[in-house]
Amino acid sequence: MSNNNTSSGYNLKVVLLGEGCVGKTSLLLRYIEDKFNDKHFSTLQATFLNKKININNKRINLAIWDTAGQEKFHALGPIYYRNSNGAILVYDITDEDSFVKVKNWVKELKKMLGSDIVLVIAGNKIDLEHERTVPLEEAESYAIMVGAKHCYTSAKLNQGVENLFLELTQQMIEKHDQTSQVGGSRTSRVLVVDDEIPVQSSCCSGSKSNH
Amino acid sequence: MYEPTSKMDGSYDEIVSENPFFIELKNEFTNLFQHCISQSWIICVPRVGSLSTRLFTIEDFCAHILVPSDELPETHYNTLTEKQVTVINKVITIDLTKDLPLQSHILFEETFYTEDFMKYKVWCIESPLEPTTNTIINTITKEYLGSINDCIDLLWTQAAGRQVLEQIENSVQTFLKRHAPLPTAVAPLREAVSELYTQCLQHALQNRRLREKSKSCKQILENIKVSVESYMQQLLFDALFKPICTCCAYEDSHLNKKIRNLSDIQLRDLDIKKELFHAVPKAKEILSKIDSYNTILEKVLCLKQTLNMINEIDSTNNIVLLTADDLLPVFVFLVIKSGIPNWYSQLTYLKEFHFSGSTKGNGDESSFLITTLEAVIEHIRSGALSGPPDPESYYYESNLTEENLNNKQKRNSLTESISTSDINSKDETLDYIFELIKANHTEHIQNLLMRNQKHLETIKENENNVLNAVLDADLSSEDDSDSDSEIYQKLCHPLCNCRKCCSKISKNLLRTSPTVNSRDNHGFTALHVASIHGKASVIDILINLGAEIEAKDLNESTPLHYAASRGHQNALLLLLHSGANINQPNMDKNTPLHLCVNNGHLNCVKALIYFAEHSRKHININSGNDSGNTPLHMAAKWGYESIARLLIENGADPSLQNRSNKTAFDYAHNLNILQVLKSVTPNLFEYIHITNSDIQTLNCKTNKHDDCKARKRSLQNNDHNASKTVENLKTVERILKAISYGDVKLACFYMNIKYESYIDKDNNSIIMSECHPLCECQSCKLRSVTHTSFDVNFPDTNGFTALHYAAKFGFDELCHILLYNKANVNCFDKRGQTPLHMAAINNKSTVICCLLENGANINAMDLSGNTPLHYACEMGNIGACKILIKYKPDITMLNCAEKTALCIAKEKVHLTIIDLIEKFNQSL
Repeated sequence: MSNNNTSSGYNLKVVLLGEGCVGKTSLLLRYIEDKFNDKHFSTLQATFLNKKININNKRINLAIWDTAGQEKFHALGPIYYRNSNGAILVYDITDEDSFVKVKNWVKELKKMLGSDIVLVIAGNKIDLEHERTVPLEEAESYAIMVGAKHCYTSAKLNQGVENLFLELTQQMIEKHDQTSQVGGSRTSRVLVVDDEIPVQSSCCSGSKSNH
Repeated sequence: MYEPTSKMDGSYDEIVSENPFFIELKNEFTNLFQHCISQSWIICVPRVGSLSTRLFTIEDFCAHILVPSDELPETHYNTLTEKQVTVINKVITIDLTKDLPLQSHILFEETFYTEDFMKYKVWCIESPLEPTTNTIINTITKEYLGSINDCIDLLWTQAAGRQVLEQIENSVQTFLKRHAPLPTAVAPLREAVSELYTQCLQHALQNRRLREKSKSCKQILENIKVSVESYMQQLLFDALFKPICTCCAYEDSHLNKKIRNLSDIQLRDLDIKKELFHAVPKAKEILSKIDSYNTILEKVLCLKQTLNMINEIDSTNNIVLLTADDLLPVFVFLVIKSGIPNWYSQLTYLKEFHFSGSTKGNGDESSFLITTLEAVIEHIRSGALSGPPDPESYYYESNLTEENLNNKQKRNSLTESISTSDINSKDETLDYIFELIKANHTEHIQNLLMRNQKHLETIKENENNVLNAVLDADLSSEDDSDSDSEIYQKLCHPLCNCRKCCSKISKNLLRTSPTVNSRDNHGFTALHVASIHGKASVIDILINLGAEIEAKDLNESTPLHYAASRGHQNALLLLLHSGANINQPNMDKNTPLHLCVNNGHLNCVKALIYFAEHSRKHININSGNDSGNTPLHMAAKWGYESIARLLIENGADPSLQNRSNKTAFDYAHNLNILQVLKSVTPNLFEYIHITNSDIQTLNCKTNKHDDCKARKRSLQNNDHNASKTVENLKTVERILKAISYGDVKLACFYMNIKYESYIDKDNNSIIMSECHPLCECQSCKLRSVTHTSFDVNFPDTNGFTALHYAAKFGFDELCHILLYNKANVNCFDKRGQTPLHMAAINNKSTVICCLLENGANINAMDLSGNTPLHYACEMGNIGACKILIKYKPDITMLNCAEKTALCIAKEKVHLTIIDLIEKFNQSL
């Protein structure tokens, strides 16, 4: 019950990191609501969203946390990304600074969480391909170097968004299965074990509680 | 249209692939199923248990497959049975007959991927999309927990009785008894509570009904867990939260200081979207209620409601989408404005004492909300919010740095050279002077203000005799810097009347150059601004130029108020020395002392108090502001321990009530502050906090009352002596500390006693007495010579002497040494206890022996009327009892509760002691 095994599904936490205005929130809303710059979102907040998916009979509950992109909140990163299973690092292909920012995030995440976290780098706004300033090769070779998956997305045109999350989820499942095989469950905060109940539930305790 | 739910999203969950309806569709109607997938139609699956039958027809399935309409694919669908369906806010509405639309909630959406990554969506819905004759079997799955009452309801109704609640109550009771007092460190506290939670949950699941129900549905199990936890927290909260606050006392006071100093902050300072402004007051109201909830469930829901409130529909009915970029700043603002004095403790409670949610992993919504709060608090703590915002910066938006200023000057000189006629140039406005003050350009300010003042004077002169001025023009022309004379020089002729000259003169008269006492539309003078920014050198200049020290702005605040609230000690002292009124109240009746206490500026509090002391001015330390709060109320509320101590030491009265009839004690939310309030005025504290049980114990005989009173009087005398020398107090504190560490040698050293001379080198034991009164041997001589100059009877603030401590910790050799050095064996502390009491309480038999041998009063009563024997009986100290009885105490003595020592022993069922006393009684 406590383990995130197949019967009750995986609970995976994903953080979206990246500079402001690279389209983190748009990506998230495109994925969850399949909308872009729409006035009619059924959710009113795009800071925390849940998505249930089912891949080959594996139930996955994605909890996706958006983070503030302003530089002044950068220091709060660790509070958000701790205990994350995956991180999506978004940059704007027309903005070189945002890619530098992604590199900083990668460095920080590797330092703080090591290989516990699955990284996916997303180059957003490919609808603005003609304004591209981040070279394609550089981005991809960097991703390979740090062991992250690289995706191109456009929240506006709905390109690559679904794929981005799917890739991430599959990798997270893989990583999760590995770690739980090796070191057992990561979270050991659970206290109640179902097995205890039948032991104590002999007829006398039952009758006691019915007094 | 939209109702913000106060419930957690996605609380319902089931494994769709095990739902019989879904299995049947998948296995028996494969073609239909595959067609759905290929067309991306939506499959609705009624939640498990909502369908009474297990026999489904093809129509049943077709009625649950939704085909998006071409025009409005988001909200309008058709079923395969050709029924029209609309979906708004997760509610499916279907018009089966004309009058009765059928509705069903979408519980959750699950996106399925096949092996070849075809995608299809499944909606798990509350009830079937077709009329069923059978009523739904169980409705309890849709149980949301929104308050503690829901939790109690659930445990009560689902278990069909109060047993589970009672069991939890009992567990909490025994827990509190076993762990009294609760540890004041988070880790052991958390462990203890988590153990209790396990225990409570076991009680709940031992109940047969609950167990069966929880087995049938995972949802119910989750709800039971939350309910058990919440009920436990509800019962435990009062006892639990104080220790948590105490653990977090430092963090909280630190945070409060930051928050208080940011209290002027405005929404626009935090770059908050204008669209969100309207919802902030209500959100603030909701969030500030967080401390009225006891359970984590409710506290988290409070956060959730706050968040919902922020993105409610605005006045123009536009939905504002709240993004992470907006969320943090708004929350920062709300936390700053909420007025809650213990955010860090609240956070610690939420983070560390949440046990039931752990199965959901670490990414669920409540953990998101808690994390958001943590991030907000961390952000405020980090000081990233650029210091105290300048109240005037809303009016003049400019950041004048030194560089900027130089650039501006350059530009000014440029424009001046172009058009010399422009007299009212930029450097003539008050804003400019204020900016200069911020940038600390002392000379520039001085020159400017002096020039302007001169200007005013000359204008006055001109008024008196224009002709004179004109005639004098030649004389004054020597002074180049004087702008007035320049103008007269530029005239065609001193007496010229042409239009050009007239306009020049009138321009000069129209000039509104600011002077040292000019005010802006906020009522600020230059001195206010200088005090806000703590520019001591500017203040000096301004005062020399004759600035009004008691100038009041629109809030009736003087510069001294601002210096105090911003924590500028230098500025504060400068103003005080220049004669500012130390007790000046502002519009809210806050004195400068209020303001610096509120903002946690210890240095300013000290400055105010010491200045008052040295200049023999009276500072009103107990003055109340508009809401009746004294500075001590504020220090207690915000948890500023050192300030509270300082105030108390300088005569602040913790028993004063504010307008809501609250004393500082009521605001002290952690034990440290409470201790400060108590420790310095123990008698006062007892006076204030008389509870019913206290009255019972105080219900003693009158003659004893007198006795107590006499003691109290003598205690007060004792106090008086104590305050004589601070130096001695410090030494005593050091001595007592050394004794409590068991370092007898060090204690002796502090007391100027030669420890070695009391130790018999041969058998390494203490020399009990002199060889002979007239003995002249070396060791005796040494001792008589080194009789200490230090008064070993000097008590600390609680009335403890070194002998008390020696007795308490059982150092009999030290007792001997002290007694030899004329320690008073019957001295008593503030509670009226003698060293013998101490020894009896702590079961130090040898010390008891020693004290009694040296004339200790065996029947000494403390303020509660207890003799040493009472305590020995109470504590069950057999050894102490034995020795005491040997010295024949009066066992008929009654304490204030009219109990003899024997009664107490019987109450506590210390059989050996009862035996001892009874035997002794018989022997009499």
